[in-house]
Amino acid sequence: MAKKKKPEPKTEPTTGGKVGVYVCHCGGNISDAVDVEQVCAQARKIPGVVVARDNMFMCSDPGQEMIIEDLKSGLVDRVVVASCSPSLHETTFRSALARAGANPYVYEQANLREQVSWVHHGPAATSKASRLVAAAAAKAGQLKPLAPLRVEVQPRAAVIGGGVAGLKSALELAQRGQEVILLEKSPFLGGQVAQLDRLAPLGETAARIIGELAAAVLQHPAIKVYTCVQVEGFEGYIGNFKLKVIRRPPGGGEYAAQLSTLSQSGQGLGEFVPFVGLMPASIPETQEDIHLEAGVIILATGMRPYGPRTGEYGYQKFPQVVTLPEFIRLLAAAPPGDTLALEGRPIRGAALIHCVGSRQIPGVHEENEGGYLNEYCSRTCCGASLYAANLLRENYPQTRIFDFYRDIRTYGRGQEELYTQAAHNQAVFFRFEAGEEPQVLENPDPQGPPLLVRVQDVLTFGEEIEVPVDLVVLAVGQEPNPVADLVEKMKIPVAADRFLQEVHPKLRPVEVAVAGIFLAGACQAPFDVGETCAAAGAAAVKAAAILSRGYVELDPFVAEVDLSKCQGAGACVEACLADGALTMVELEVGGQKVKRAQVNPVLCIGCGACVAVCPENAINVQGWTLKQFESMVDMVVSDEYLEGA
Amino acid sequence: MEAAKANGKILILAEDACAYPGADAAGQGHMSYSANTYIMRVKAAVLFPEQFYLDCFHKGIAGIIIMSCGVETPYHGAYEALARRIDRVYALMKQEGLDIRRLRLTAICTVCTRAFIKEVQQMQDLVSQLGPPGSEPAAAAGAA
Repeated sequence: MAKKKKPEPKTEPTTGGKVGVYVCHCGGNISDAVDVEQVCAQARKIPGVVVARDNMFMCSDPGQEMIIEDLKSGLVDRVVVASCSPSLHETTFRSALARAGANPYVYEQANLREQVSWVHHGPAATSKASRLVAAAAAKAGQLKPLAPLRVEVQPRAAVIGGGVAGLKSALELAQRGQEVILLEKSPFLGGQVAQLDRLAPLGETAARIIGELAAAVLQHPAIKVYTCVQVEGFEGYIGNFKLKVIRRPPGGGEYAAQLSTLSQSGQGLGEFVPFVGLMPASIPETQEDIHLEAGVIILATGMRPYGPRTGEYGYQKFPQVVTLPEFIRLLAAAPPGDTLALEGRPIRGAALIHCVGSRQIPGVHEENEGGYLNEYCSRTCCGASLYAANLLRENYPQTRIFDFYRDIRTYGRGQEELYTQAAHNQAVFFRFEAGEEPQVLENPDPQGPPLLVRVQDVLTFGEEIEVPVDLVVLAVGQEPNPVADLVEKMKIPVAADRFLQEVHPKLRPVEVAVAGIFLAGACQAPFDVGETCAAAGAAAVKAAAILSRGYVELDPFVAEVDLSKCQGAGACVEACLADGALTMVELEVGGQKVKRAQVNPVLCIGCGACVAVCPENAINVQGWTLKQFESMVDMVVSDEYLEGA
Repeated sequence: MEAAKANGKILILAEDACAYPGADAAGQGHMSYSANTYIMRVKAAVLFPEQFYLDCFHKGIAGIIIMSCGVETPYHGAYEALARRIDRVYALMKQEGLDIRRLRLTAICTVCTRAFIKEVQQMQDLVSQLGPPGSEPAAAAGAA
């Protein structure tokens, strides 16, 4: 290596800012791995840091108040909070600064939870935390007050998905005076709910729920519905999203069964058809490209029932094995009587098997096609199964029900009653362990029912029991609809369970990491219809808040020219990635006309491509200057302020 | 000396729109990795001039991973400009006898937790093997 003089660490703050450091325990999430007191003690040794305090929850009111008091008293004029990721609480703490009368941009956050305590342990975690705090303090000391940029918002929302979540979101938005575009892939509105009959736990009909919602949507003048559409292009940002949508007739016999049912029903456009949905418009005859602009987007892409593998619990091996949604459809078409008869076949005994395609355990259960396991509880299947069991027993008293469960999870209002009612209705319960699922076999007795369900029953201390039945109903769980293309285009985070991931279930529910995009319903987790509508309402309200304001304030992190340094080289203009954001203008400096760079902050995207090419470092991105980054590196490599505290 | 090698600091320039949330996602998954890694949140790594990287090595940073958004950056053209700059940094590193593997340009998305861990581990292995910047044999400096 050629001999180079090692640069001296530049650890002194350049502006003399009075930096306050506030370290969060995060209720033990941080302090279980990081010695918070030591981090504070070391922070007090950093030049420019005038105070270092800690709190169990910095995001709590007392935690924020601590910062506000120090700002108001004049003790500090720059703030570093060392806590969770800035994606979670940067806005929280900037708001605290604003409430104290300070500029919200003289703030820096050190990420001690996601990037330290949750991934490191022992002294190394504390050492790293201290260096990150030192780096943040070095940057904070150089921060300048900034004003946010204002961006106008396209005055409409795009809702993707025409199931109950999409319908509810669209209607809630429209009722708040907002213009809505509702996009549905299929020719029908209603989604998976339209494939059901009565809904657990209260027994409303899907026809009523979807019929009323869809009718209200179609009649509302502020909602424009497009069916048979696919989102092919996506670009933009909060306030200004652009969607390229293609509307075309379904291909390859897709939706042929539903269209046939619709045709046979005698119902017309705009009328609900059981187990199909509601078709609001004719199927397009040709392909049409549609370009849409929206200020916000709600994803309501929904779920689909788990599809058992061939042979799983005898599915597709024995015609008497059906999934719960299939059974609901059969039950709706069954004639009245003492004994249930399906397609002319009497059902004297029916088995219900829970947790099919849910709560799958690695190493115990077989992976599904695609190599994944559904390790989550789908939550809704216990209630739906017991509701169906009660319906069966109460309408067909001569049909017996045998319920095989791993655990019964009838959570929430009106659900536990279903379990009690099923017991009252003389449903017979068997319990099995994970890995000891019931086996569905052909009954060797030709005189008996066609199937035999064999189980090691936990309730009778492991006794092997064989139950002859005419029907097996599999209580399948929920899986997210496959929307990989959309997710890829929009860069939406997907959780390990393949459902779309909200930023935080408590602090920022229904929001995703991409600003201006919200989640509604079962695309984010297994939900029942009530929960779906609640989430859809939440998404609509958050979206409406942006639309009704008419503008969003964006961070002012755009380029700024230091005219005292600019020599007019023009390299920044050549390097600029945003057309028109940087231009050379003629100015008078010292009585001479000279060319200097000028930034258009509205057009500047704040990438910093200009920063790297300026020989004078005369241009920087506000809040993210090169000198700040250099100071951060200096603190990362320096041991000077981190030892002996 | 071995301890010093093992403790060589790794600087990660993580772009705000993709890699930084990706690193957060690794944390949310409690996926452990080397503690000698220091993640700096950047809007776009195209901001850094060639000299920034050289200065980092001069200051003692043993390895730098640029975790960009790749061609999916929200800043159209930024990745291409960054890639061209990194080529120039490599040339300068060679001139200074620095092993160019100490600087790595990658693309990490918001959910690329395994890729994040893999990149960190690979750089950790490399800096453990190479030792402090400047200590590598001249012959190895051009290795890519």
